[in-house]
Amino acid sequence: MNPAPSNGLSPKKILEVRGLWLQFGGLQVLTNVDLHVLDGEILAVIGPNGAGKTSLLNCINGFYRAQKGSILFLGKPIHRLKPHKIAELGIARTFQNIELYSGLDVLDNLMAARHIHMKRGALAGAIFFGPARREEVSHRKVVEDIIDLLELEPVRKKIVGTLPYGVRKRVELGRALAMEPKLLLLDEPMAGMNVEEKEDMARFILDVSELRRTPMIIVEHDMEVIMDIAHRAVVLDFGNKIAEGTPREIVKDPRVIKAYLGEEEEAEGGTSG
Amino acid sequence: MVQVAEESLDTLPKILRQRAQTLGDREVAMRVKDRGIWRRYTWKDYYEKVRYLAMGLVSLGLERGEKVLIIGENKPEWFWAELAAQCAGAVAVGVFTDCVAHEVKYYADNSDATFVVAHDQEQVDKVLEIKPQLPLLRKVIYWDPKGLWNYRDPDLISMETVLEMGRMYDESHPGLFDHLVDQGKPEDIAVICYTSGTTGMPKGAMLSHRWLVEGIREWSAVDGWNRPGMEYLSFIPPAWATEQGLGIAGGIVAGLRVNFPEEPETVQENIREIGPEILFYGARLWESVNSMVQAKILDSTRLRRWIYNKCLSVGLKVADRRIQKKPLGPFWKLLWWLAYQGCFRPLRDRLGLSRARVVYSAGGALSPEIIRYFLALGIEIKLFYGSTEMGVVSIPRPGEIRPETSGRPMPWVDVKISEDGEILVKSRFMYSGYYKNPEATAAKLRDGYYCSGDFGYIDEEGHLIVIDRMEDLKPLSGGRKFSPQYIEVRLRFSPFIKDVLVVGGEERDFVAALVNIDLENVGRYAEANHIPYTTFADLSQKEKVIQLVREEIRRVNRTLPEHARVVRFVNLHKEFDPDEAELTRTRKIRRSFVEERYRDLIEAIYAGKDRLTVEAVVRYRDGRQGIVSTVIFVNDV
Repeated sequence: MNPAPSNGLSPKKILEVRGLWLQFGGLQVLTNVDLHVLDGEILAVIGPNGAGKTSLLNCINGFYRAQKGSILFLGKPIHRLKPHKIAELGIARTFQNIELYSGLDVLDNLMAARHIHMKRGALAGAIFFGPARREEVSHRKVVEDIIDLLELEPVRKKIVGTLPYGVRKRVELGRALAMEPKLLLLDEPMAGMNVEEKEDMARFILDVSELRRTPMIIVEHDMEVIMDIAHRAVVLDFGNKIAEGTPREIVKDPRVIKAYLGEEEEAEGGTSG
Repeated sequence: MVQVAEESLDTLPKILRQRAQTLGDREVAMRVKDRGIWRRYTWKDYYEKVRYLAMGLVSLGLERGEKVLIIGENKPEWFWAELAAQCAGAVAVGVFTDCVAHEVKYYADNSDATFVVAHDQEQVDKVLEIKPQLPLLRKVIYWDPKGLWNYRDPDLISMETVLEMGRMYDESHPGLFDHLVDQGKPEDIAVICYTSGTTGMPKGAMLSHRWLVEGIREWSAVDGWNRPGMEYLSFIPPAWATEQGLGIAGGIVAGLRVNFPEEPETVQENIREIGPEILFYGARLWESVNSMVQAKILDSTRLRRWIYNKCLSVGLKVADRRIQKKPLGPFWKLLWWLAYQGCFRPLRDRLGLSRARVVYSAGGALSPEIIRYFLALGIEIKLFYGSTEMGVVSIPRPGEIRPETSGRPMPWVDVKISEDGEILVKSRFMYSGYYKNPEATAAKLRDGYYCSGDFGYIDEEGHLIVIDRMEDLKPLSGGRKFSPQYIEVRLRFSPFIKDVLVVGGEERDFVAALVNIDLENVGRYAEANHIPYTTFADLSQKEKVIQLVREEIRRVNRTLPEHARVVRFVNLHKEFDPDEAELTRTRKIRRSFVEERYRDLIEAIYAGKDRLTVEAVVRYRDGRQGIVSTVIFVNDV
């Protein structure tokens, strides 16, 4: 239902993964996975538990080192870089099991994510005068725009650890956005949410996509909502890419239905397409 | 300072123009919290926004007498839109933000709106949905572009664009704006407020500029809020006549500095930052502030609880002496000062009420207990009596607060009581009739007096006491009458009771109650007493919870005449909900609807049963339906 973001120009490949091969000892996690993300695109990576979805994200942002294959970000290879270098290049991510500073408030969590854009040293920051102060103000503005976008105003000064799960997920998305990424990796942004929270999150993801045109990879276990918002989807099963295409094609693909949904539940997934 | 004679300042746009000319950039007219910062608009800013927006609307074809529908949260843009419409000689029509699309359609259709000014994506979606059915509607203007970036409707336009169009139109048509404003007359209709509709379809009550300008001038003078620059927090819906009077007209005519909260959810936080001097809380809000304090105190340490209770008992003693107009004497003065410094001052600061001087409530009766409670903290809640149609009828004057009365009638009002106890009102500031409905207007008039439909009386000191709606007085089988609302208000004072419907009737010989427990406070009670529960429905039927509610009802029963005491009650398995039409948008119970809906339960109460199984249809997202059944106990008090 979402038109792919093709505005006449041939879309640029933001990320390209070629022949990715990952093993943990004898365990084969990813087998020759190829995929790419176009500019402004929402790419869904779906698949059953243990298909290698999160491992794929971990390879892209440098947590895991793949044995074979290459990852090109904006045309440059990044598969040999350390995670913080990759973050500085502009790849931000959220985690399946929320990773925030739970003792800090929402605002500080988002401000902390701005560190990769902060140029003044610790000393200038400690004196907090002149340029350092101006810098803080400009970062605060970016953060406030995110708070507005994600409707976090009521919890701006609340300690993250005290917030409900759904809100923390939203804060995590905000934290990733605060890095002003060129590519966003979302690991199960809707896991553990009720229907209303999922719809809210889907709306926020669409807002981000429409307003900033940030390309994204969304890993999701639950197909229903994600298929409404993704432009394209890749399906993994036991580390193999078994299908790729528009959500409409994917939900009809018999291999997907078999691998992902299990044979007895074929009818269930088809409703969302 | 006032160069222009007051008589010529007879419409809101004229006064706004004059304030901008005399105060310009020197005084702040509004503040709004945005991106975590309080942004300020001076009188000049306010005026320019209104001027350009008005010219933008005119360039889009807005004509004198047309209607501009406004739907959104309290924001400066709402005020600009209303004033802009009025500058062009048009009429503003306010709509509540939580109205669903077909309700918005009714208002737009009924008021013949040609423009809609909408807040954000949520409101725009509703308007676009119904637009094909509204042939008169020309443009939809929004002010918050979030989420609307990819909307491609040709009639959808941002306020920013309209302001820019207006600025250019103003340049190319010099003098037109002033000409339009000068054409405004005090008897012109300024705004249409739809009455909340406890009975039948909402009717559009027309309010003139005279109502807003002279009415507010006199009201603010009587109650001492005519000092320009007093802080006011705007968060009651501007679609409501009260906010028209306090926020919009109060801001312009009395010069209040209007502050807008960031989001509806941040009001409690924002009110602390502003410390408003004048404010209006609905009865429900006072009740919820009170129960929030009670709940927090319950959660607090033993020492703090002890201090609070000691201070409060001093406060209540002093409050009672004030109510009875007894002199305080140095002893009580000293004790009160200690209680104030030790407890009330920090408490008031927490609640954002540290500077509150003129404090109002209306709309749904407020429990005398609540008024007494806040008086103990040194806050005089003025429970005024009035309506969209009648305007303000009576207000307790300073030092004349008595919990059960609505004070003395205002100087411009003539009140009399009909033979059957109905309050009749004649006022210099009344509405100008219902829009396109002269029959309904005429039906409300009797010998020049407006029939309020309220039952009440005037006591020996001249205070007006309003008991209930005439039609809501309920008979019992013995022929005696009682007021359900009177009992409900007193029951709702309990922190454990969120809502309650009291029923009776000619064929019934006692009073019964349907109770909504307060999930938060009862949940906390359950936690503290090791009562395991799963859902609201489950919690409500726990034996100890039923006993808890029973105790609360017994307490209230002691203050009621014998025939009006609650004999049996049930704890409902769900909360009353405006989305299911059980409450109006201002959160008043829709009595007959709710009674009909729970008829089985009510019959079970009077049939003497001790339990009833209620089945509710639940619709899942995939369209399947399921039935959830709950056993509800019917309890004796």
